[in-house]
Amino acid sequence: MTEVESLRPLATVLVSAVAVPLILALHRNPDFREAVTLAAATAKVGLVGSMVPGVLSGDVYVSDLGGLVEGVELVLRADALGMLFAALASLLWLFTSVYSVGYMRGLDEPRQARYYAAFAASLSATMGVAFASNLLVLFVFYELLTVATYPLVAHDETGEARAAGRKYLVYTLGGGVAVLFGTVLVYSLTGSVEFAAGGVSGLGDADPALARLAFALLVGGFGVKAGLMPLHSWLPDAMVAPTPVSGLLHAVAVVKSGAFGVARTVLDVYGPDAVASLGVGLPLAAVAAFTFLAASVIALRKDNLKRRLAYSTIAQLSYIVLGLALLSPAALVGGLLHVPAHAFMKLALFFCAGAIHVETHTDDISEMAGIGRRMPLTMAAFAVASLGMAGIPLLSGFVSKWYLLVGSFDAGQPVFALALAVSGVLNVAYFWPVVHQAFFETQAEHDPKPLVDGPRGGYWATKPDGYVPEADGGGWRRAGWTGGEASWFVLLPILLSVAGAVVLGVVPGEAVYLDLVVEAVHGVTGVVV
Amino acid sequence: MTDVVLPLLVACPLVGAAIALVAGRLYRGLDWYVGFVALAVEAGLVVGATRSYLASGRLSHEVGGVPPAYGIELAFDGLSLPVAALVSGVALSVLVYTRYSGPRGPAFHSAYLLLAGGLMGVTVTADAFNLYVFIEITGLAAYALVASRGDGASAYAALKYLVVGTVGASLYLVGVAYVFVATGTLNMAWASERLSEVGYTDPVVVASFCFVVVGLAVKTALYPLHSWQPDAYSAAPVAVAGYVAALVSTVAAYALARVLFTVYTPEFLSAVPLASTAVVYLACVSVVAGATLAVVQTDVRRMLAYSSVSQFGMVIAGFAVANPTAAFGALIHLVGHGVAKGGAFLGVGLMSSDGDVDGLSGLGRTSPGSSAAFTVLLLTLIGVPPTVGFVGKWYMAVGAFQGDRPVVAVVVVVSTLLTLAYAARLIDRMYYGSPATAADGGRRSPAVAVVALAAAVAVALGLLAGEMEAALALEEVLG
Repeated sequence: MTEVESLRPLATVLVSAVAVPLILALHRNPDFREAVTLAAATAKVGLVGSMVPGVLSGDVYVSDLGGLVEGVELVLRADALGMLFAALASLLWLFTSVYSVGYMRGLDEPRQARYYAAFAASLSATMGVAFASNLLVLFVFYELLTVATYPLVAHDETGEARAAGRKYLVYTLGGGVAVLFGTVLVYSLTGSVEFAAGGVSGLGDADPALARLAFALLVGGFGVKAGLMPLHSWLPDAMVAPTPVSGLLHAVAVVKSGAFGVARTVLDVYGPDAVASLGVGLPLAAVAAFTFLAASVIALRKDNLKRRLAYSTIAQLSYIVLGLALLSPAALVGGLLHVPAHAFMKLALFFCAGAIHVETHTDDISEMAGIGRRMPLTMAAFAVASLGMAGIPLLSGFVSKWYLLVGSFDAGQPVFALALAVSGVLNVAYFWPVVHQAFFETQAEHDPKPLVDGPRGGYWATKPDGYVPEADGGGWRRAGWTGGEASWFVLLPILLSVAGAVVLGVVPGEAVYLDLVVEAVHGVTGVVV
Repeated sequence: MTDVVLPLLVACPLVGAAIALVAGRLYRGLDWYVGFVALAVEAGLVVGATRSYLASGRLSHEVGGVPPAYGIELAFDGLSLPVAALVSGVALSVLVYTRYSGPRGPAFHSAYLLLAGGLMGVTVTADAFNLYVFIEITGLAAYALVASRGDGASAYAALKYLVVGTVGASLYLVGVAYVFVATGTLNMAWASERLSEVGYTDPVVVASFCFVVVGLAVKTALYPLHSWQPDAYSAAPVAVAGYVAALVSTVAAYALARVLFTVYTPEFLSAVPLASTAVVYLACVSVVAGATLAVVQTDVRRMLAYSSVSQFGMVIAGFAVANPTAAFGALIHLVGHGVAKGGAFLGVGLMSSDGDVDGLSGLGRTSPGSSAAFTVLLLTLIGVPPTVGFVGKWYMAVGAFQGDRPVVAVVVVVSTLLTLAYAARLIDRMYYGSPATAADGGRRSPAVAVVALAAAVAVALGLLAGEMEAALALEEVLG
């Protein structure tokens, strides 16, 4: 491993921070405003992409910004684990930015400048989380991420949205308090909070009770954003936010910054050996297994599509935590690989939910009968992504789950393999009704709301989403080959995300994520999986 | 040593106070300019003192050439530097703000400068009795300023402040008298040496400690000795509230730290564990009680006042841990809180005429600049990184563990959530409430700039904390 002085990690963080004032300044000029977002997103992907080959060959890019507080340096380091998260979040931000344009304009949402500015600020904080070189820097960006996301959760300004925003702040800042306390404890025990592959030296020999307490505080604090039960209840409420927010932040960036924090704690603060000798891995694995089983059962009963997806997110995040808690190299690979695997699939699912909302203003699954005819591409994408969630081979969810299954046997804990299998069945149980409803039922048996206004191939409208009588300028519109789909701004990101999930499932070795994961696990355990 | 800059620091605003009174009667409006010049010169003097401190270490001056033991010594070290900078910076900035908000008039500006001089005196004196004198000057000027709105509520608040504040100062004076009985000197450093010879557990010494701490706790407004503060802050004109909230309690807390470290020293605290435990728990109770009282307020100014009760509890707890790390955390939190709370009061003055919480609804849209600055200041109070509020908490929590006082670490960290409980309500109203009335369109951009400056300083201090810790060298102050 060689360290390379470079400003690129810093630039990756700053590029979207610079965009924030520009976006706000251009609030009267939406086209330029969105161009700024897209340019920042493209630049971010480019910057991250330019570091990937170096990181894969063992380099670490370092931006040293001097002292933060006594004994702790403000340093950004792009190592394999950080790159995994950064490469994922930056690429998906680009998809989401395109989608946001279609979604926010399709719905004529108010205050879009604030929305795009907060989004860009969130991504800056996310990159900071990814590239943080020690617990304190991680904490700083983790808290900034909370602050930057709050305006997005409360975006609607309704009573419900404001209540969700307050709940979000209380839960995540409360988690931040636990993280800070844990960080202080680690600093007091060892005099360092610097990440080191395999753990901070001295933590294994410290007073075990205090070390366990610090572990519980750190994992509990990060676990709030990672949706570990019983700290998860902010996430379903936060679904009141616009769908791109639910998709990128509440399925990828924010929640995975929690999972990422757990990963840093396990791999780079304690190290697998210390976690094993302190005996804290098994309880964490049990909490994770309980979370994904319980969340899947709850998801069965949620009729609101976004809330069902939220519980699915809670469940899937716990796969990641489970992999980290089992500690065997294969399980670590499985857990970390599930970070990108879940991200592509879940983003596609949320985008589909958003497309349905834009086109038909329908949010509940029970009202979606026959929607597959109106929006064939969207619902096909939904079906593929939900198969991936269930772990069907040739989709990204299968690869990570395979490693998790192998890893739980390696760790001598086959019971968790059983739990994973049960969870896969539950995944089918709660996603299949949506697909069935969309393709195999018609609205005649259901609610009278006209989702499909006529036979396939045409519908009555002046606007894509409304039924308007002829007197008001409505008319019979023949749909193209996509049916009554949303605009391409919405459709393209859906297809790209699903394509990503397929690529990760069919040729995982060719996509960089598996290589990054293997490199990260190799750095910690010395084992090449 | 004779560093003449120290007496000038005290004299400059006091002389300015006298000139302003006369000048304002000769030429209408000249008093503001006198004040501005005096405080600008004062800021220059603080810069000069800082430069010579950084070059050569602690500054000291014997007033009138009479050596200590009997003469009065002025001193300037790592503990006084940030407070002196805060005093002069806030005094100058709030003066700019008063140009747009009032109050005005020679009497007001004279009292304003008198307060600045008294605060600077407390900051640089190294004599326990002289400290009392400056505390009384501070108090008298502050009572007058609080009453300067001229209605019944402010007169009542000023009277209450006068009675409670005088009791506090008197208790401190009794404590100093005991110190004098035990040691025969009023110079802090000399008294400190003699105290160790007398013996820390001597009843006279312990009694003096109790009087001094309780007296200064009244001035700092720790729970349950805080009752003057919400009335004073909410009844005073808003610029005065900002000025007093940023500085008066801050300097009282500084005085407590000064006496703890320089007169009694950390050895006293370890020799009399009951005393330090009592201070720690008093402070911790103040953190929780202040925040709880803040949550239920419907007037923003009272909410911010109770917030001060809570935050100063944290600062005093940090000082009471009495090791360099925690002391630095408490000091930077003290200064950061001064900036944030002063700026927050000025921000409220810009946005809301009556201070009602509901009056803030929708202001994120009608006055975006001051709302954004006010939000940053609230985040500073909560302790969100990278603001100074977070850095102070980090140092205090780390120091508390080093000093084997985990309860302080817990309270410091958990206070984030307590602060969030009242601060989030304000942010929510500002940005997601519907506007009640249109904002008045007065020209006040320099006043907004003052609030924005406070927000910028709150963030900058957080980023510069690492360098400041080395420069201040609090190990020397703590011995």
